[in-house]
Amino acid sequence: MERMGNIIGGRLIASIIPVLCGIVGVFVSNLPFSFLGGWFPAPLYALMPIYFWCLVRPDLMSPGWAFVIGVLHDMLSGGPPGIWAASFVATYALVDKQRDAFAGLSGWGALLGFATASLMCCACGYLFYVFYRWQWLPISPYMKEFAATVLLYAPVAVGLGAVHRKLVGPLRSDF
Amino acid sequence: MANGTWKISRRGNAHLPLIIVAALAVALILVGKAQSALFDRARASIIDWMRPALVASRAPMEALNNWVSSIGEIFVVYQENLKLKEENARLRQWRNTAVVLDDRLKRYQLLLHAVPDPALTTVVAKVIGRASQPFLQTMILDAGKSNNVKPGQAVVDARGMIGRIFLTGQRTSWVILLTDLNSRIPISITPDSAQAIMTGDNSPEPLIEALPPNAQIKPGDQVVSSGDGDILPAGLPIGVVVREGDALRVALFADPSSAQDVQILDFKRPPEHPPAASPSDLPVTAAGLPPAAAEPQMNVLPPPQLLPQIKKPAPSATPPANPPAGAQTDGPADDQ
Repeated sequence: MERMGNIIGGRLIASIIPVLCGIVGVFVSNLPFSFLGGWFPAPLYALMPIYFWCLVRPDLMSPGWAFVIGVLHDMLSGGPPGIWAASFVATYALVDKQRDAFAGLSGWGALLGFATASLMCCACGYLFYVFYRWQWLPISPYMKEFAATVLLYAPVAVGLGAVHRKLVGPLRSDF
Repeated sequence: MANGTWKISRRGNAHLPLIIVAALAVALILVGKAQSALFDRARASIIDWMRPALVASRAPMEALNNWVSSIGEIFVVYQENLKLKEENARLRQWRNTAVVLDDRLKRYQLLLHAVPDPALTTVVAKVIGRASQPFLQTMILDAGKSNNVKPGQAVVDARGMIGRIFLTGQRTSWVILLTDLNSRIPISITPDSAQAIMTGDNSPEPLIEALPPNAQIKPGDQVVSSGDGDILPAGLPIGVVVREGDALRVALFADPSSAQDVQILDFKRPPEHPPAASPSDLPVTAAGLPPAAAEPQMNVLPPPQLLPQIKKPAPSATPPANPPAGAQTDGPADDQ
């Protein structure tokens, strides 16, 4: 019985950690301080856990969770609702469809894979915003956001990998 | 990083929920476009709930930011100090001039029974957040509905206008900056008082649009709020005109990235009461008929009164070395 309780508790923790990482990413992205003096938009930290666990454990990072994380990002960023939610879901769809190709990458290839997903997300965000306002807009803010997100993926992915190995992975191995 | 070394779990066919979620996301965009107030309320509630965390994290992050940004300034402290002393002396002279002119203006207004300027009350608020997203430049203040802050009110710092309130929570409010893509402000450009619209385009210097065709605008002209539409008070200092290619832009006095404490202006334009008609103005009198009985005093509108004003913040542009001649010859002396 005690083992059953541990298993259920461990499973619960394992299932919420990816989503929690996404939510933490949303909060960090929307920290009200800019260390770059406002020259660069905040990176899309929330996209990193979505991409990572969509590849490694899509059962823990479902499209629904990607949508919820996107909605939270919309709410906190102050932008029009649904823009980032739709962008995250579109990116999820791309990664899910090409999961075998993305998951086989390592090193610089993994970074390139994330850059592709990030480009998809920023392009979707830009297009949705253009349609929302029905007006052509400068593309440079999204390019800056794309660059900042890709540059910071490597250190964050190391952290996500550690979280996965130490918390999510072992708990999953009980099954 | 995610690579092929991990065992990748497989999942069943996820395409159906993906389609449903995608449809939900598109529906959310459409509903958000149609019913933005609904999401604004939720957003304001979330930020109200997060306010203590934002306030608590403000001081250390600010200290770190200040420390980082001050590293380069250490080497020019002495020259900067001399420059500031000189500028301070000049500004004291100008303050004296301003006091004299303000006093004279009030006397003229009394003599002319001028319609008073609108009353302005202010709420001082701290900046507890700055959003840095593509196409979105906003600030979060620690004052909201409980401080009588309302959407549309102007936000200024010591140098000039920063933006206006666009969303209020119970104890927090969001400011849309003048540089934001959604910002449109009616402006007046001195000395000709040319009316135009200042449009944010996410660059540090907003664009001047809708200028009259014959307007003679040159770089260095002062830009103030025009007060058109009774949304903002007239005369708030905003910046100076600069030219960028064929376009005219505004170099803002205020720096939203460094503003810490700001003022929210509560602008109420008083109703303009027309002067009471004299008996000779009445049509019956003009027609040679005896005037009607005097109306009860209750119907006579009160004469306009001068209401207290706030002192408008001085623009940061360096004033000329000497104030205009004649301005210092009368009026009270300054307490230098």
